[in-house]
Amino acid sequence: MEELSARFARYVERQWSEVDDVRVESIARVHGGASRETYRVRVSYLRDGVEPRGERGLILRRDPVGSLIETERSTEFAAYRAFHGSAVPVPEALWLEEQTEWLERPFFVMEEIGGCESSPQALILPPYDAAEIARQKWTILGLIAAADPEALGLDASMEGVAPEACWSRELDYWVGVIDADELEPQPIGRAAIRWLRRNPPPPPDRIHVVHGDYRTGNFLVDPESRVRGILDWEMAHLGDPLEDLAWSLNRIWCWARDDRVGGLVARDRAIAIWEAASRLEADPTALHWWELFSSVKGLAIWLSGGREYRDGANRDPVLGFTAWWLSNSQDRALLETLGRLK
Amino acid sequence: MKPDVQEVLGQLAQTLIADIGPRIGDAYGQSSAAIIGMLLSAAAEEWDRAAAWRVEENTVLRALFRDADAAVEDERLRERLAEAASGRDPGLRIGELARANDALRSLLIELHAHVEALGSPAARALEEQIWEELRASTERRALSIAPF
Repeated sequence: MEELSARFARYVERQWSEVDDVRVESIARVHGGASRETYRVRVSYLRDGVEPRGERGLILRRDPVGSLIETERSTEFAAYRAFHGSAVPVPEALWLEEQTEWLERPFFVMEEIGGCESSPQALILPPYDAAEIARQKWTILGLIAAADPEALGLDASMEGVAPEACWSRELDYWVGVIDADELEPQPIGRAAIRWLRRNPPPPPDRIHVVHGDYRTGNFLVDPESRVRGILDWEMAHLGDPLEDLAWSLNRIWCWARDDRVGGLVARDRAIAIWEAASRLEADPTALHWWELFSSVKGLAIWLSGGREYRDGANRDPVLGFTAWWLSNSQDRALLETLGRLK
Repeated sequence: MKPDVQEVLGQLAQTLIADIGPRIGDAYGQSSAAIIGMLLSAAAEEWDRAAAWRVEENTVLRALFRDADAAVEDERLRERLAEAASGRDPGLRIGELARANDALRSLLIELHAHVEALGSPAARALEEQIWEELRASTERRALSIAPF
């Protein structure tokens, strides 16, 4: 860790031209995001060589050797940049480093939003206000859906897709992950995939920004229950906004172990909030398709993590744990969405 | 008497989560200890039942394949189902049971896709039987720590 600190301090000093004598006061790895090593770093510095030293909290996101999901760091970085300063709260993305000379693997750096909680198990209980968090959560998701990818410049950094091809592109990709990474046959997942291919959804009205992993646990909330930062844009892409809504409603995220989606609020309420903010209608037939898809995608992620762990590409125990903890639950979610659980 | 595997794993999980984890200095280490503890807890739960549910499921699948004869319209698939239905588990080691289970579940996927495309009442009845088995398969694998 000391070597990482020293190398990171040199990097920050080079990038941040207004300051000098940068020192890493503390650095700690945290579990955050599924696809990158995340470190919370406190740096101090001099401005114009004059005391007292300033301090700043940073988040370092470094590419791992293996991960739950393989994503493009530049896409994640571009998403943070695009939404910074908008009504969609995100931390400021500072530097993207593609070269390996600094920290052996590519990485990017963003500001730390301090004094917040992200744990779902904490946020669904008092003193946090679950209804208020839900109102903000699905309002912000509606605002992401309402955003214009071209106006944000995201059409340049994210792969384009025709509205009628949104569903097949996403389904093909995640089926490919299951094909490559499953360690045992998946009869429930395969049945769901066949159903999805037989019953394609209607296309969206236009192409939208899709966060890709929008759920309780991937945003920061301050002690007054205000959502301060939407995180983990590593799977962001262009596509159908119902993909995000469906993922946010997935049974697997019902942290309170009841019917409240995201552990926060009734499903109908969440959809109503999203519709009001996005000015879009969540067509029930299309939403049903995307909800089933979201469980196929979830299954693919858990299986992929299990494969990484088993093969030794990444020994982070969270990968082995999620494969055990969530795969069967995701199968049950698939059965429920297909009307086959009872 | 010595504590059995389930008890040992369960105790190790508790020690890691409640005793060792909180004394680890950094948040990542604490979090990893808690995750390993939960994995041990899941392993303890699975240890006791691992052979039982695989034997049960393999038996159910072979019976289902035996009953599938009337609904299946593909001759080659019918032969493979009959062959699988007459098979037996090679032993009671978890690895042996799991390999047999994998082979049976792969064939179940083929059978399911086949009957979905058929319109006969026998096919519909078999499809319902398959869905019932898939639902039961998730009950067999359910962990008490799982969210759903």
